[in-house]
Amino acid sequence: MTKAQKTIWWVVGIVVVVGLIAWGVSRNSGSSNVIKIGFIGPLTGDGAVYGQPEQNTIEIAVANLNAAGGINGKQVQMIYEDGKCDGQDGTNAAQKLVNVDGVQAIIGGFCSGETIPAVPVAAAGKVVILSPGASSPKLTGISPYFFRDYPSDAAQGDVLANVAYNTEHYKSVAFIQEETDYAQGIHDSFVPTFEGYGGKTMLEAFPSDTTDFRSFLTALRSQNPDALFIDTQTPASTARILQQLTQLNWKPKLLVDDATSGDPQTLSNYASQLEGAITAEFLPNASDTAYQAFIQAYHSKYGQVPPYQNYMACVYDAVNLLAAGIKQVGYDGTALAQWSRTISNWPGASGNITIGPDGDRVGGHIPLVIHNGQIVPMAQ
Amino acid sequence: MSVVPQLIANSLIAAATYALVALGFNLIYATTKFFNLAHGAMAVVGGYVVFFFLGAFTGINVILAVVIGAFFAGFLGWALDRVVYRELRKRKASNMVLLVASLGAFTVIQAVIAMIFTSQFQTLSNSASEQVYQIGGAAVTETQVVIMASAVLIFILLSLFLKKTMFGKQVRAVSDDEEVARIAGIHTEKIIGWIFFIGSAIAGLGGILIGIDTGIQPTMGLNLLLKGVIAAIVGGVGSIPGAILGALLLGFAENFGIWKISGEWKDAIAFALLILFLIFRPKGIIQK
Repeated sequence: MTKAQKTIWWVVGIVVVVGLIAWGVSRNSGSSNVIKIGFIGPLTGDGAVYGQPEQNTIEIAVANLNAAGGINGKQVQMIYEDGKCDGQDGTNAAQKLVNVDGVQAIIGGFCSGETIPAVPVAAAGKVVILSPGASSPKLTGISPYFFRDYPSDAAQGDVLANVAYNTEHYKSVAFIQEETDYAQGIHDSFVPTFEGYGGKTMLEAFPSDTTDFRSFLTALRSQNPDALFIDTQTPASTARILQQLTQLNWKPKLLVDDATSGDPQTLSNYASQLEGAITAEFLPNASDTAYQAFIQAYHSKYGQVPPYQNYMACVYDAVNLLAAGIKQVGYDGTALAQWSRTISNWPGASGNITIGPDGDRVGGHIPLVIHNGQIVPMAQ
Repeated sequence: MSVVPQLIANSLIAAATYALVALGFNLIYATTKFFNLAHGAMAVVGGYVVFFFLGAFTGINVILAVVIGAFFAGFLGWALDRVVYRELRKRKASNMVLLVASLGAFTVIQAVIAMIFTSQFQTLSNSASEQVYQIGGAAVTETQVVIMASAVLIFILLSLFLKKTMFGKQVRAVSDDEEVARIAGIHTEKIIGWIFFIGSAIAGLGGILIGIDTGIQPTMGLNLLLKGVIAAIVGGVGSIPGAILGALLLGFAENFGIWKISGEWKDAIAFALLILFLIFRPKGIIQK
């Protein structure tokens, strides 16, 4: 390479770098009338069954917002990052959104696994992060910058304890609980509420690979509980327990968590054993006009009703809720984080949203009863 | 209501399932002197073959499906010996190498089953419609009666078979000293192949019956294997009556152990029993 050629390459290199910087700067300054909001969700992989409808839902909400003039005259632009339901990808996505795109707010993640490690990244960058789907109790009070409009799994235990004692008048409830964070979260939230009313609980905890439940069940049965709470992580354990209850000829009143009641297969396979069982799920009110409007908008745009409607209603609300906050306090992560704790009875498609001081959506789970293999609202 | 009759029934049912795994395991150990960890996978294979036949041919006779399932598990055990273990023995591989190879075989079989049938929990029967007997204050299902009867029957047949037949004598000769047996004109590799077939078929039957009782999952093999191996070691490794005694002791210790303490301790009790035996009576109840 001659000296002349070298010089030319240097000049070309400098021009490209300077040009790119200039373009980047102009793009940033030129887009001052745009509000960029980050998104983390499982766009690919197994979790895409959630992530794709999530993106569709957000597109509808953002289109509606922008058609109505945006937020304070500024158009909303989403930046989608793939969290893949995975901790590492969730962290990378949050880092990119916070450090490269400079967003002040992130909607996501959807899975608890991608959300938990993303929160500290967002908090370090003073960016507010709102999850519409992560339900792990581990996220409760994790950071002042985090809040969620999907309730914590722990809320289930609370609601069920109330119904069990006050509606069904159970004085003692026996738990057969899988040794996982989710199942333990439900047990740990049920017990103080139930015992606070004056009830009594017993516990048999089992590792996830257990197949023989007979002696656990025999031990619980000998204490004559008023009801049995099947607190499992997966429908497989529930199926085994239900089978072995029949084998032992024990027909207790049942309480089940939403890992069981959320699986239509288990409900229909074990319809007779689960008849009358009490459960609690987070379900939007199907007759609510805001909810119906969302379902219709989704249907007219994508030709089908959204799957996982209780989650998607929260995704839809997350966009509008955040827009309401930005209108009120401006597009600033710290201001939005402080504002998030003041949200009270905000009317959304998923119902009225109130955020507690720990960042969790307050209430939300409603008691349900299993009837003919279907979940139906409990008669009050 | 007294829980004792039910706890006895639960113990006997658990013991019978452990025995079905331990019998084949001990039979294979007695002749080959290595821990065949793939034994657990044979139970899973048996269960899934029956699951496949019941699903593919509706109305198929259940007993026929069980026979096919056990036969298939036996065949797989034989094939595994032929293709893997025999080749390794030819190369004078140590028992440690055979153990690791069997662990590999276990993992492969489990993974293949999970790929074909998914990792989902499946049931082989709808036990809601099953007959439940009340025996002395304990509830026992028809399947559980069959499990217990099978364990006893297989134990008796196997004992007679090994004692009374020419083949049984050859098996004992091989297990006493393979080298001498070969010099005496016994076709030892053939005998070992048969032993793998019989032992694996018994495990397959165990897997099928457990599947009918509590359902099947590709990963159930490890748990069955562990309990079967504990029963085998406690009872006396390589001993046929030892397998039964070990299974009984384990079943009762586990199920009565959690009568007064929390059920979380069930596995801890099983392994504590194992450790106690390894320290104080390493050759098991029946010392060969």
